[in-house]
Amino acid sequence: MRRRARLVAGVAVISLAAGLGGCGLQIPADPNGTLDRATGAELRVGASPDASLIEVRGDDVSGVLAEVVEAFAASIDATVEWTVGGEEQLVTGLEEGELDLVVGGITDETPWLDRAGVSRGYPEMPGANGRTIVMLVPLGENRFLSTLETFLDEELG
Amino acid sequence: MSRFGRTDLPEEQAVAMRKAVRIEIFTICYTTVTIGVVALVLGNSQAMKTAWVEDILSLTPQVAFLVALIFVRRRPTKAHPFGLHRAMSVGHLVAGVALFVVGTTLAWEAISGFLRGDHPTIGTVVLFGSSVWLGWVMIAVMAVIAIGPPFYGRYKLKLAKPLHNKLLYADADMAKADWQTNAASIVGVLGIGVGLWWLDAAAALFISVGIIWDGLRNMKTATLGLLDKRAATYDEKSVHPLIAEVASTLRALPWVADAAVRMRDLGQVFHVEAFVVPTDPRTPVEAYEAASRAVAELDWKVEDVEVIPVSVLPVEADRGVPDDGEPHADGSDDADATGAARGGGGR
Repeated sequence: MRRRARLVAGVAVISLAAGLGGCGLQIPADPNGTLDRATGAELRVGASPDASLIEVRGDDVSGVLAEVVEAFAASIDATVEWTVGGEEQLVTGLEEGELDLVVGGITDETPWLDRAGVSRGYPEMPGANGRTIVMLVPLGENRFLSTLETFLDEELG
Repeated sequence: MSRFGRTDLPEEQAVAMRKAVRIEIFTICYTTVTIGVVALVLGNSQAMKTAWVEDILSLTPQVAFLVALIFVRRRPTKAHPFGLHRAMSVGHLVAGVALFVVGTTLAWEAISGFLRGDHPTIGTVVLFGSSVWLGWVMIAVMAVIAIGPPFYGRYKLKLAKPLHNKLLYADADMAKADWQTNAASIVGVLGIGVGLWWLDAAAALFISVGIIWDGLRNMKTATLGLLDKRAATYDEKSVHPLIAEVASTLRALPWVADAAVRMRDLGQVFHVEAFVVPTDPRTPVEAYEAASRAVAELDWKVEDVEVIPVSVLPVEADRGVPDDGEPHADGSDDADATGAARGGGGR
């Protein structure tokens, strides 16, 4: 009986995986569809200014990190719409679904773990001055996060 | 290894005990490795975290068994006249309480995470130069480490019976059901993968309820043993057949009019108080001593036997007769026959 249960469980897992793949269901997925919505449209990015990574002059956001974000947006045919603010304000924007991505001088020591999805750290970021830079995404938007990390691996790796 | 308090283990039990110690040490090593591997891929999945903590908790019965064994083997002394057999039950109780408390905490974490609407975030890792979703790695790890426990669980189950060890039995039983934990955490991670974030919390809750259940069962068995419940079989399913065997062995003696037994399980061996009503009140002391030896010869588990003369049997003592109280274990007829034969030829 136990053996049969295990067999059933095994078959269920395999057929679930195959079925999902067959239906074009992608793993990982975004529960709130961030990547789908941004692709071919606009990517809403929050920027927290940082001396060596992000520079803000009026409406113009520039710097190494801004260039990386623009390149990522281009890779999904999106244009970047910048919002400049303090980290807490931007993290709240992520939580409330007003932002898709937050960048700045945020490191892998970030205290926002409970309120935002944190990307892997990228110590190779030019201008990071030895810091391991991470980016913040909405919690649980795993397809968006995975796409971003894959892009960053190729861009910075 | 073959000494158990005042009991010398027969060959079968001595071999089983050596195997049990070896498999428990092996299990601790195996589990330590899986704890380390799972820690590397833990991520933000509550189901994975719960399964990981369960893995850590699953070490307690094995550690309790090995530690208790050190004490159980000591001879009785003036300070500890019954030996230290209860160490096994104490270890069992500690393991049960630990499972229950931690299981409850984990269940609460799963429920509160669900109520907060926590969306678990799982990103990628770089594996052999390419970015892979960490969820796939988690699933692979959980699937691979699920292979071991059913095998050693079954092996331990086979050893628990000849050793009459309830801690080993509980340990084996949990190991046999361990694959469910891994399956649940895989379902949780797959749920995150397809965007059903709540499936992670549900899987975590399923695993923690399993832990709570294990804790309750172990606490119950250990507590009942410590409260001197009548001796039962190692799986707690029926009254131990030795009760009937001892009673009928004594009744078969020509000078015994009637006999009844109070038998408690010290965790591994039994402590027996046998009450006998002699046909003649002037029965010599040697007869009682011979009766005590005859009972002790029935089984390696009964070594500590007192035969007490009474004029009326105490009501709570068990006469070992099926229609006397609850139904007794299967094969008690068989036990009667051998008991009577051996009792008749008692030294």
